[in-house]
Amino acid sequence: MEKRFMKGCEAIAEAAVRGGCRFFAGYPITPQNEIPEYLSWRLPEVGGAFVQGESEVASINMVYGAAATGKRALTSSSGPGISLKAEGISYLASAQLPAVIVNISRGGPGLGSIQPAQSDYLQATKALGHGGFRAMVFAPATLQEAVDLTYNAWEYAERDRGPVLILMDGCLGAIMEEVELPPMKELKIENTEDWDLSRANGRTDAHMITPILPEPALEMLNRAKGMVYNMMWPMDAKAEEYMLDDAEYVVVAYGIAARVAKEAINELRAKGVKIGMIRPITLYPFPKSIENLDYSKVKGIIDIEMTIPAQMRDDIELQVKGRCPVHEYGRSGGMLLDDEGVYNAIAEITGGGN
Amino acid sequence: MKKSFVFSGSGGQGIMSAGIMLAHTAIDMNKHSTYLPEYGPEQRGGSAKCTVIISDGEIISPLTKKCDNLIVMNEQAYAKFGDSVKEGGLLVLNSSRIKEEITREDVKVLAVPVDDIALELGNVKAANIVLIGALIGATDVVSKDAFVASLEEKFKTKKPEILELNLKALEKGIEFGKAAK
Amino acid sequence: MPEYKRPSSLMPMATGYCPGCMHALATRLVADVIDELNQADNAINVVSVGCSALNLYSWHGDVIGAAHGRAPAVATGIKRCLPERLVFTYQGDGDLAAIGLAEIMSAANRGENFTVVFANNQTYGMTGGQMAPTTLIGQKTTTTRFGRDPQTTGYPLKMCELISVLEAPVFVARYALNSPKGVSDAKKGIKKAFEMQLAGKGFTFVELLTNCPTNWGMSPLDTLEYMNTNTIPYFQPGVYKDAEAAK
Repeated sequence: MEKRFMKGCEAIAEAAVRGGCRFFAGYPITPQNEIPEYLSWRLPEVGGAFVQGESEVASINMVYGAAATGKRALTSSSGPGISLKAEGISYLASAQLPAVIVNISRGGPGLGSIQPAQSDYLQATKALGHGGFRAMVFAPATLQEAVDLTYNAWEYAERDRGPVLILMDGCLGAIMEEVELPPMKELKIENTEDWDLSRANGRTDAHMITPILPEPALEMLNRAKGMVYNMMWPMDAKAEEYMLDDAEYVVVAYGIAARVAKEAINELRAKGVKIGMIRPITLYPFPKSIENLDYSKVKGIIDIEMTIPAQMRDDIELQVKGRCPVHEYGRSGGMLLDDEGVYNAIAEITGGGN
Repeated sequence: MKKSFVFSGSGGQGIMSAGIMLAHTAIDMNKHSTYLPEYGPEQRGGSAKCTVIISDGEIISPLTKKCDNLIVMNEQAYAKFGDSVKEGGLLVLNSSRIKEEITREDVKVLAVPVDDIALELGNVKAANIVLIGALIGATDVVSKDAFVASLEEKFKTKKPEILELNLKALEKGIEFGKAAK
Repeated sequence: MPEYKRPSSLMPMATGYCPGCMHALATRLVADVIDELNQADNAINVVSVGCSALNLYSWHGDVIGAAHGRAPAVATGIKRCLPERLVFTYQGDGDLAAIGLAEIMSAANRGENFTVVFANNQTYGMTGGQMAPTTLIGQKTTTTRFGRDPQTTGYPLKMCELISVLEAPVFVARYALNSPKGVSDAKKGIKKAFEMQLAGKGFTFVELLTNCPTNWGMSPLDTLEYMNTNTIPYFQPGVYKDAEAAK
């Protein structure tokens, strides 16, 4: 393993290359510009292609074309640009093409703010585009986790034949920390014949990739996808569970918010407050950890997000089922969470730490 | 031990590269470190701020409201971030540009005329290195040797005079820092 | 006498096009050229949205459906990954000259090495005959009931003229499919464009003036004369750019 002190955007760009990515198309938008900048020189080094698209709309459709050749394709953007990519992401789902999309999210709505925020949770998990499809959503909290999830993201995209989203906030895109980089993946050309126009498999018959289907076939596809989302994906749900055994209060937070919260939890624990944390790593499928808590002990759930109002709360409430109160604390619009604010908010809710 | 450093000033004052170099040096010394930049929308001359955390153990949260060490390069940065240094912390300021009286009495203040020193040495661009020197002199955050190695690495493709200038800037800064220790 | 038979890239089935629609003729010309160049197994047809999407079902070679207006972006992604393949888009005027204007101009400007076949019938066929960016002044459509008025809707977009001022494209030409000579010239133009692409020369653009008997509200036969007196005077056929001829 190779250790490097890297910037978030560059770390995931390198992890993508090592994970087999050979095509990138994207459009400049802060705070993710280091991803296209890095890949513009890095992809040609490994025989891949980089295109700076004329828009996010064009870029996601270039990815759609590249994905149809069996190549591992990537695009990245931030909130406003992800909205523009919604069309192409839906087409990827419909044509069953595997691709990875990175959202380094910023304050919203609208042009919002170029500063970091976690304001795209609902867009990511409920409707990345029209037509009622789902995408697996990974939400790393450290650069190491971001590298590992990006490195393996195409395996999920190809297994399930559709888009996979990596959702990080601008802090994680800009931060520098130490990461261990995995080795360059040996790419095998296998099981790609269903979506691969390249004929690298020796396929000789003609192939049609289509985002439009006759009604009965479309219903059949949607039924099959429904089975995948409901039966298969729950097994892929991932969460970090921290100090839950005797917890009376449980923080639910993902990404950067979970890191700030964990620090506060450690301090509160030192003062005798029985508190733990559930950190979803997959935001969709949403992990079941909250449902299975021991509600004879748990007095409250605290949803901490870098967005106002909290967006994950509906998913939390669906698992709490009214068994305890759900509180929320956040910052928004590009105003960052900090240790003191999060500590005070939790201390006030738990009545501890004083 | 975990220490946080906030570098603040305006774009072009070498704030960001000072933060990165400090974090890099800490990593070279087998410590843990995070570096988090915050930019305004302007490409030049806007406000610049970065937070560096250096720790012997794993760094959980990279976001901190108050820092142990605040480095301010101009009056606007002082007005904006002056309150963010913890009680008992260290405030390093560029006295070439910050003329107002420092009212906080609960922090250690280290005033270094970094612009003037750098100009005297031949290039105002070395001001950020004077600053790091002062920080090293006052806090032992990283060793001088490790930082010299970082400088040598950073300027290895440049003309030797540039490295020489920066080494001198570092030395001057350390003198100032030690005097205040 | 050469045998007149179904090109190998077309399915043995009726197209979905209305009787007398020149989309069927244009598609056939493309398929014939692919056979003549022995490219049936090598071609990738990027189909767009509109009536042209009907080609998804009748095309026998490799084919991929693109989002509305995005065919040049999809073709960019494909060609950059598979540079040896013969890649072309087949787009109508709403797709190419309205919603996809950014994609076509940018792909042309980058000099992407694929071919665009542009069927210009001056209306949105599939959605029911609304005004297209190429609808002629005074032409009645379902959204210009009293005829296209330039005061509020501007003028018909001349795509060959626009694209030919760019540096990168190597072949830009317009043909009208309402006469035997026009059809024969169009086929030669498509062939030239494909040959230039296969030689790696760069972006090639072939515009075909076509009809829409259904939405123009006239018989197929009448559309031929209408094109002579209305369409062709505004959209002048000809070779607008040919990098090989320029040498």
